[in-house]
Amino acid sequence: MSAAEALLMTRGLTRQFGGLVALAGLDLEVRRGELLGLIGPNGSGKTTFFNVLTGLFPPTQGEVLFAGASLGRATPQAIHRAGITRTFQRSRLCLELSIFDNLAIGAHQRLEHGLWFNVARRSALARQADATAAAATELLELFDPPLARRLFEPMTGVAMIDRRRVEVCRALMSRPRLLLLDEPSAGMTADETTRLMDDILEVRRRFGDLTIVLIEHEMSVIERVTDRCVVLNYGKKLCEGTFAEVSADPEVRRAYLGLT
Amino acid sequence: MSLPGARALSAAAIAALTGLLVYAFLSAESERTVGLVAVGAVVAVAGGLRSRVLPRLVEAAGPPAVLLGLGAAAVVLVRVFHDDPFVLLLMARALLVLVACLGLHVQLADAGVPNFAGAAFFGVGGYTAAVLGRGALPHPLVLLASGAAAAAVGSLLLLPLLRTRGHYAALITIAFGLLFRTFLEVNETLGGPQGLKLGGLQILGWSFNDDRQLLGVDFSGYAFYCLAAVALAFGAVWLVRRLERSWIGLALDAVRLDETAAACFGISIGRWKIAAFTIGNALIGVAGALSAMMVGFIAPNNFTFQESLVLVSILLLGGLGNLAGLAAAALIVVWLPEKLQPIQEYRYLLFSVLVVLVLVLRPGGLIRRTVRRPFGRVAG
Amino acid sequence: MDLLAQYVMNGVMLGLMYALVALGFTLFFGVLDVVQFAHGDVLTAGAFAGLAAYAALVQAGVQSPVLQLLGVVLAATLSMALLGALLGRLLVLPLRGAPALNVLLATLMGGTALRECIRLFYPGGSQPQRFPALLPSASWSMGRFTLRLDNVLMIVAGVALVVGLSLVLRRTRLGLAIRAVAQDEETARTMGIDFRRVVLLTFAIGSALAAFAGVMNGLYYNEINFGSGLLLGVIGFSAAVLGGLGSFEGAVLGGFLFAGLQTLGAVALPFASAYKDVFAFTVVILLMTWKPTGLIGERLGERV
Repeated sequence: MSAAEALLMTRGLTRQFGGLVALAGLDLEVRRGELLGLIGPNGSGKTTFFNVLTGLFPPTQGEVLFAGASLGRATPQAIHRAGITRTFQRSRLCLELSIFDNLAIGAHQRLEHGLWFNVARRSALARQADATAAAATELLELFDPPLARRLFEPMTGVAMIDRRRVEVCRALMSRPRLLLLDEPSAGMTADETTRLMDDILEVRRRFGDLTIVLIEHEMSVIERVTDRCVVLNYGKKLCEGTFAEVSADPEVRRAYLGLT
Repeated sequence: MSLPGARALSAAAIAALTGLLVYAFLSAESERTVGLVAVGAVVAVAGGLRSRVLPRLVEAAGPPAVLLGLGAAAVVLVRVFHDDPFVLLLMARALLVLVACLGLHVQLADAGVPNFAGAAFFGVGGYTAAVLGRGALPHPLVLLASGAAAAAVGSLLLLPLLRTRGHYAALITIAFGLLFRTFLEVNETLGGPQGLKLGGLQILGWSFNDDRQLLGVDFSGYAFYCLAAVALAFGAVWLVRRLERSWIGLALDAVRLDETAAACFGISIGRWKIAAFTIGNALIGVAGALSAMMVGFIAPNNFTFQESLVLVSILLLGGLGNLAGLAAAALIVVWLPEKLQPIQEYRYLLFSVLVVLVLVLRPGGLIRRTVRRPFGRVAG
Repeated sequence: MDLLAQYVMNGVMLGLMYALVALGFTLFFGVLDVVQFAHGDVLTAGAFAGLAAYAALVQAGVQSPVLQLLGVVLAATLSMALLGALLGRLLVLPLRGAPALNVLLATLMGGTALRECIRLFYPGGSQPQRFPALLPSASWSMGRFTLRLDNVLMIVAGVALVVGLSLVLRRTRLGLAIRAVAQDEETARTMGIDFRRVVLLTFAIGSALAAFAGVMNGLYYNEINFGSGLLLGVIGFSAAVLGGLGSFEGAVLGGFLFAGLQTLGAVALPFASAYKDVFAFTVVILLMTWKPTGLIGERLGERV
């Protein structure tokens, strides 16, 4: 694993909450352009890993290297600027706002926020709004064209699966280099999950340089879409490899199924 | 798609209706008439909202036209009440309270930063005007400086406000609001408990305090203050609406609704809370300065914590996030106790009970209207 | 030296009063995660209830100061226990689902309503009311410092209450239920604890404590005022926050800490003792900036 291929690398990444050790010296690599599955039993540290990656919690120990540079104790805002975005396990959309508003939040760093621009230069603002709406529509159409036509409707009237789609699109609006998906298919039927994953693969095809880390509990999804998997257990990497390799590993089977 | 004619007509209709209601209310003499007009107004507005007539009219006219119409109505009312200082003073006061509440609106309804020291910042503006107004600084600049002073004082609270959440943040502005009066009363340089006197507003030698004759009509001095207040209110509403319907408004919404998610998408929580708090306090300060110049006098007693609560009450009674409701609530809260003397004594009790009822009875708390943000051309 | 003793005595009295109010705040926060901003006004209402009871007793011909004192304390604490439970039932519990700001606003406004009711409807309520001196007025002179028996009695009573509350929380079933609910509402419910009952009882207890503090306040200053509850409430809340909301020891610590800050302010700025509150609150705000969740610290956590 050369440094050139690894977009993301963690060394001895540890995160403690008082007495609880959520991450215990995690060494992990994510290769450029791959779709990496992150699996493990409940409480194995998957979401905590995302939270530390995106700067919501600083690591207790260890470091994270993104594109060769250490993230250190960067703020979530700086990490977003570096090109890492995410979705949340518990859907975090602004339900009071419209679909467009939520997506525009994802595009925040490319928008002009000066006081003069926003108050006085209204036609320039309108042009930027239209451009953002066009970009949002383009993304939404990849997932569900009818959804794209409802761009200015409030989120409250939007069904669960569409909310998930909006969340993924929000994370894509800034054309990130690394996309972290936290159980995007939670609460969906098998068909809906298949559709969502197909759309995500399509996005990956379109946006050449997109690396994805996917936390999932649905093994069929992992098997179908991922290039490689990493299995976590008790905050440590238990095993890595393709899904076939990992699912055959006796350690993994013991951790998941309690078999010896 | 509405024709310019239909737009103007709808705006004129709204302006006329509002103007008539306000005229009837302010010119009513006996308390019975006042009560009847108030009830009539409530019925008319409620009916208009229920039957969707009012919202459709507003939509047809478009908010900018409605604002212009209301502004014109206000000017007409100033002409109508040209020599009644009591009514003119009431109108001006209501408008200046509205501007102060617009400042609170940006802080609380847009950015989610509660400010329980609104009256204190109003006072900072007034005291700044009192101190600077005696000097050589032209009065328009004094007004701006008063806004800046209020913003500056507010910035003292920013660091603790940003480091704390929820109740803790509220405590900071509550403590400030409580202590501001104490601080003023003990401070002899700012007049102590007696307060300070102010000369009136003067622009290019033109004194606003004097009664004048214009175009054959006798105007009380307060008429000009009222017009200044109309201009200020107009500008404040224009500014706040533009802010809300822009990327700035979106950033504020994101900060208010979900700080964690906002941070993960690159939005700086600190920057936007600071911006909202500062802009809000600046608006409050300017309103306070004009108010002080109009009244000619300023004392610590006017800026109690209780008064700060009244400002917050106006926001809540009008429906948090609802600008039209805010304006209506400001008018009612300022005018009703003045026109109905019996409730003057009971006004704090009345408003606090009303707010509690609003908070407890409205299902799911304070439901804010969904914000549509179609400020692009495509969206319309 | 005597001046120091005077300051110390004053500080202890105030600290105890603030601690009693802060304990109420911390209890309410513990069981419901809410800040009940009408608490300070409940204190005042308690004092006025006591005053009204005194007037009634005198009217009924009761002469003995002991009986009068008993009547005052009972009237104050029992009526406020009831009022506190009522406030919990009508204002706080219904707003549980709503954003935290709503409860804060509702109780803030509720407190205002209570305050205004006292001002408007209690005979002469808008003026400070003389509070009777019901404690023995004996005193001992020690040099230029006078140790008053009534102060000693109040301190003893206050400390007894704090210790008593601590015992109730640690040794009784009710206390256990309260602590269980404070830790984890859902688990407590599944264990069969009647959540509503515990919450309302907590409100009753906290409010009774505030009422006692109100009576103490009246006895100490020989005067009560409809508006004093507001500042006392905010002080009590600051004290609870300083010590860490939800922490018993923190509330007591915070109460004495605030009193100490006020005393320090009064000593350091003798020319403007009115500034002592400004000084004390400024220090509180600075401390909160340094340690946003209190000196002992509340565990602020959010699941991401």
